[in-house]
Amino acid sequence: MQNQNSIQTGKVLVVGGGVGGIRAALDIAESGGDAVLADNAYSIGGLMTQLDRTFPTNNCDLCTLSPHLSESGRELHIELKTMTEVTGIQGAAGAFEVTLKTRPRYIDVQKCTACGECFERFPECVRFTPGLDHRAPTCMRYPQATPWAYSVDMEKCNDPEALEKVCKMGAILPEDRAEETLIEVSAVILAPGASIFDPAHLDHFGKGTYPNVFTSLEYERILSASGPTGGILERPSDGKQPERIAWIQCVGSRGIQKGAASYCSSACCMFATKEAIVTRERFKDDIETVIFYMDMRTSGKDYELYYQRAKNEFGVRFVRCRPHSVVQNPENMNLEISYTQDEKSENITEEFDMAVLSTGFMISEETRKMAEVMGIELNPHGFAETASFTPIETSKPGIFVCGMFESPKDIPETMVQGSAAACKALSIPYRGKPAPDHKLRAPADDAAENQWDDYDEYEEFPPERDVTGETPKVGVFVCDCGYNIGGVINVPEIVDYCKTVAGVETAVAVGHGCSGESQKMMESLIKEHQLNRVVIGGCSPRTHETKFQDMVRRAGLNKYLVEIANIRDQDTWVHGDQPEIAANKAKELIRMAVSRVWLSIPLADHTLPMNKDILVVGGGVSGMTSALALADRGFKVFLAERSPRLGGMAANIRKTLEGEDVRSKVEEMIERTMNHEKIQVMAPAIIVDHAGMPGMFTTGVQSGPQMFYSSIKHGVTILATGALPNRPSEYFLNEHDAVITQLELDERIEDNPESVKNAENVVMIQCVGSRTTDNPNCSRVCCQAAVKNALRIIKINPDARVIVLYRDMRTYGFQEDYYKKAREKGVVFVRYGLEDTPVAEADGDKVNVIFKEPILGVKVSVNADILCLSTGFISDDESTEDLGFIFHLQRTDDGYFLEDHVKLRPVDLPVPGFFVAGTAHAPKNIRESIVQAQAAAGRAQTLLSQDTINLGASVAKVDGKKCAACLICVRACPYSVPYINADGYSEIDPARCHGCGICASECPAKAIQLMQFQDDQILARLDGLFERMN
Amino acid sequence: MKDFEPVIVAFCCHYCAYTAADMAGSKRIAYPANVKIIRVPCSGKVDTIHIMKALENGADGVYVAGCLEGDCHFKNGNLRALQRVKQVQALLEEICIEPERVEMVTMSAGMGERFAKAAFEITEKIRKLGPNPSKAAMEKAKAA
Amino acid sequence: MITAERKPMEEIIASVRPYNRILLVGCNECVTVCAAGGRKEVGILSSALQMAFMQEGKTLDIKELTLERQCDPEYVEELVTVIDQADAVLSMACGCGVQEVARRYKDKPVYPALNTKFMGASERQGVWAERCQGCGDCILGLTGGICPVARCSKRLLNGPCGGSTAGKCEISQDVDCVWQLIWDRMKALGIENRYEEVMMAKDWRSSRDGGPRKIIREDLV
Repeated sequence: MQNQNSIQTGKVLVVGGGVGGIRAALDIAESGGDAVLADNAYSIGGLMTQLDRTFPTNNCDLCTLSPHLSESGRELHIELKTMTEVTGIQGAAGAFEVTLKTRPRYIDVQKCTACGECFERFPECVRFTPGLDHRAPTCMRYPQATPWAYSVDMEKCNDPEALEKVCKMGAILPEDRAEETLIEVSAVILAPGASIFDPAHLDHFGKGTYPNVFTSLEYERILSASGPTGGILERPSDGKQPERIAWIQCVGSRGIQKGAASYCSSACCMFATKEAIVTRERFKDDIETVIFYMDMRTSGKDYELYYQRAKNEFGVRFVRCRPHSVVQNPENMNLEISYTQDEKSENITEEFDMAVLSTGFMISEETRKMAEVMGIELNPHGFAETASFTPIETSKPGIFVCGMFESPKDIPETMVQGSAAACKALSIPYRGKPAPDHKLRAPADDAAENQWDDYDEYEEFPPERDVTGETPKVGVFVCDCGYNIGGVINVPEIVDYCKTVAGVETAVAVGHGCSGESQKMMESLIKEHQLNRVVIGGCSPRTHETKFQDMVRRAGLNKYLVEIANIRDQDTWVHGDQPEIAANKAKELIRMAVSRVWLSIPLADHTLPMNKDILVVGGGVSGMTSALALADRGFKVFLAERSPRLGGMAANIRKTLEGEDVRSKVEEMIERTMNHEKIQVMAPAIIVDHAGMPGMFTTGVQSGPQMFYSSIKHGVTILATGALPNRPSEYFLNEHDAVITQLELDERIEDNPESVKNAENVVMIQCVGSRTTDNPNCSRVCCQAAVKNALRIIKINPDARVIVLYRDMRTYGFQEDYYKKAREKGVVFVRYGLEDTPVAEADGDKVNVIFKEPILGVKVSVNADILCLSTGFISDDESTEDLGFIFHLQRTDDGYFLEDHVKLRPVDLPVPGFFVAGTAHAPKNIRESIVQAQAAAGRAQTLLSQDTINLGASVAKVDGKKCAACLICVRACPYSVPYINADGYSEIDPARCHGCGICASECPAKAIQLMQFQDDQILARLDGLFERMN
Repeated sequence: MKDFEPVIVAFCCHYCAYTAADMAGSKRIAYPANVKIIRVPCSGKVDTIHIMKALENGADGVYVAGCLEGDCHFKNGNLRALQRVKQVQALLEEICIEPERVEMVTMSAGMGERFAKAAFEITEKIRKLGPNPSKAAMEKAKAA
Repeated sequence: MITAERKPMEEIIASVRPYNRILLVGCNECVTVCAAGGRKEVGILSSALQMAFMQEGKTLDIKELTLERQCDPEYVEELVTVIDQADAVLSMACGCGVQEVARRYKDKPVYPALNTKFMGASERQGVWAERCQGCGDCILGLTGGICPVARCSKRLLNGPCGGSTAGKCEISQDVDCVWQLIWDRMKALGIENRYEEVMMAKDWRSSRDGGPRKIIREDLV
């Protein structure tokens, strides 16, 4: 039985419209809640919109982000308030009263069509691009801005009356005034992001005085097609393309410069590597790239592989050192960088054409003020104070945090926190004044009576125009997608060609077709030309089909009357260095799509009621967190755990780096999970089979002492199967009593402190079994574990000598403080390289560890009482392989589950209805696992909030007149759906049809057609392709 | 025959091969532009007629790309596709066309490299075989 | 059901070589069910033929059509509108269909594209086996519902020959000895005593031996 008590949730205020805030607002809206998204800037998007490309896919950000941005602009449940800040808050969780102050924009966002007329005539009152703006004016931050409207700086405007008249839409409001609004919300999410460290005051780097020194964000803007130089890389000093570029890491981070933060900014190693790779990708050997770094902190999922690729495939040079300064050569304006290295005593000087400072992240004064208004506690660095087991909860109940404001991090982690924050915010019941329209769609067990409602739940779409009987009129819209398409092929030429293709009514170049402006333009062109078929030349239909389907729906067409020609992912990205070939292929692909769309017919989607139960696989901290979050919301959860007991790996951990007690928290969690009336724990349990689709899965589970088989029906699945503690047979592990792992040391320190009290020498070796050929990735948690245990040993036994042998100390974020503290307390950190790994020799009940001291350049032997190996994680390869097979999920090469999009959908798995949390996704610590588990619960709710499942229109249909009742389809269907009906012909239940089309291609009478993939439609593509030849 | 650029039609299943092709793109792995992709929901949707028509229309080679064996999103569509490819091969032999012009390959969604490799190998193979004899003969007849 | 399979392409190609315009006619009855001559096979053959002749520098004008049943004159009549546009008809029906088309369109050459095989049942997807020879005098009631006329290589009526080994026929290990099947079935039904009853010599006049046959239902005529 499912819960009847739906929780009343009020609005949620999201402060900050960067990717984290947008993700949170979208998740809230998709879960049926309402969000107010307030941002101080003129448009939402935050920092990410200013990046050229993102790691590790090296894709352009704008094209991956802009669908999200315009999505949030469109969502009916999100109220967007730009140029707005929070000035006051009262009340408590469930009933906050928040005062918002909106500065005047002087432009009516509803009326502005962003035609640019005002900008052209009055450029003096438009703004932007950080540090590199050559223009100044009404401000659009980037080509796909949301809202798609300008803003005016009235102070710089000399003639407001003339400005007002220039706008034909009457969108300019010279009398616009600041506005104060009071809103009542049940919860608040703080996602203000971070600002960038400003190195201008550091005279030794010359930023601000030397023209060829940039910050990394500026470098992103230069590389960006929408940046100030239009993507042309040249030295400001002489306009020449640089030949040598240097990156200097840790500028403003790890406390090494004046005014720098003491923490590690976490993302800089990766973004510098990315910038270097992108540079090498674009300019090949014309530009040499060097990165000067202290420790390479590439500890995210597959990041280590990215780092290795940068070195080995792209020839990026990495130099471990701390350059003292950058000196400009006054003659040629080149930059001299001098440094020394561990192994060598001499001073080395290299000359570069350009230097990029990898500047870290800081919390702005503005954000600190906002936090003060909110009344939340900040940590000493000015970030929101949180704890490992409540990682996104601020000190004030009902106020949550996500993204940079929690700690410095990259985009995927921010996305995860955004979803987690949405989940937590939605769990706060509304206690304010009754507002019936804020009732959240919560579980209900009234199976929809009519299974075959047509799919028209979106009220924002106009009624569909009936196109039957009309001659097809095809409109072709070609995207340039910034450099992605337009940088390879000449889009206007393609458009001209399209106009000559038979059946094409009109063809237009649309820039970024996914941007709000282009979408509106296409809508109006469809209406203007009375188009009834549309072809988009753009990116993959896999990622953007829905977006363009929505666009044609807004233009009054059935969504199946649009076809996408994949001229980006399968053309310009593939043939980037052969523009002519790419152009020809683009023409072919568009011709094929035109020929295909000519035969498209309007189709209706089928729907079925949604099963709102959840299966969580894995009963560790992640699995329990997801299960509890959903069960608390009233959903029924099946929790299947392989071992007889819940707790997973965390049950073996005693303390976090921050000193929190893990055991008691985990025990508490197990207790709550076991006793929750909405959670059915199945342990020990194994998954044996699986079928169905999102909203109606059936999974076979063998569970209990007798391993009885039961079949579970559920709507979504969360995989939290964890990873395994690695235990490689190295350094006498399992052979010598003095050799243990960090996990065992953690336990020993807690349970038997005496055993470390007398230890004279403790040696730790990092990266044992990680960053190796067998397990190439970084295990992420071992550096923090080593620091944690070293500090605890010193605390118990101040005389102990603790030596940590490491390759790169990866104490990202605030962990850097503990790393520093350990050094201050006398823990010795010694770096080793792969060419000279430490060696151990048994010596009675002790172990001699021999390693090279890099500064002295000599071998040192230490007689260790304890040799502690940082063995980290290894994926649970066997489990993920089995589960991957049963659930049809993809895995990374090293056996972790592969998410749908490494950057923007890090919690969703590629199979719809599946989500991943914890170390089954990649190595991570408890805090990070909990966040992802909350995010998985949040993402699951976006599906569970729907009452029906959309089955799409791709189902097999039988023409009874042609059917010979031969039974071939009945026998061929993998799901046993077709049957011979009372009228003597085959019938296929569209609700059960999976849409594979096997029956259609086996049918000897050609009586079956798969909608959307009808034979004539497939053959039409061939016709389009071969038009040239015949 | 120096300038012979074969036209190859690749029927790619949505879940694996088409995704792998996209993946190759996003990793910027180049493969020959000779390969023209037609997306189908499952390789099992590819009908014998589709393959025949592609050749009849002038393709020099056709391949069906599906999921790895045992990994088909629709259980056994890729196996059905393989049987049909074999059927076409036998039929081609009967009408004196090299059966190697038609092939079945499998890959998982993440295998961008494999997609590109298959595209290269098949293009090379067809290049060696030369133009589709039906098309070539017709062009010759027209020229005469 | 009547089963059939496509003739070798070589033979089909030879038969239509003299012509330019071909009417390729399928049948939506038995040959569709046995996947030999339905709409799909018509399409495949059409394409194969086209490609075969293209190699000779020639394109055929092939019109594809599939009739509900080629052995009924009313359906065959449907060809009347297109028959004049063809030089010859290539039929993908069983022998009955081919003849019916030939009878109706007297001045049009008609060629079979199929070899009609036997009356059979489908054992499983893609496998058909002979079950009946149309002898005109059914004895299944005496043999436990299993026909020795169609399924014994020697058409023996009184038990197996000496070549029956381990339930298999001497002609092939893939062929069951039908008398073994009959015996097993009779035993299962508890009528094995009837196995001993001697069957008299069969009167083959009701079969092909009496010349071409005809059924006339006076009540329906």
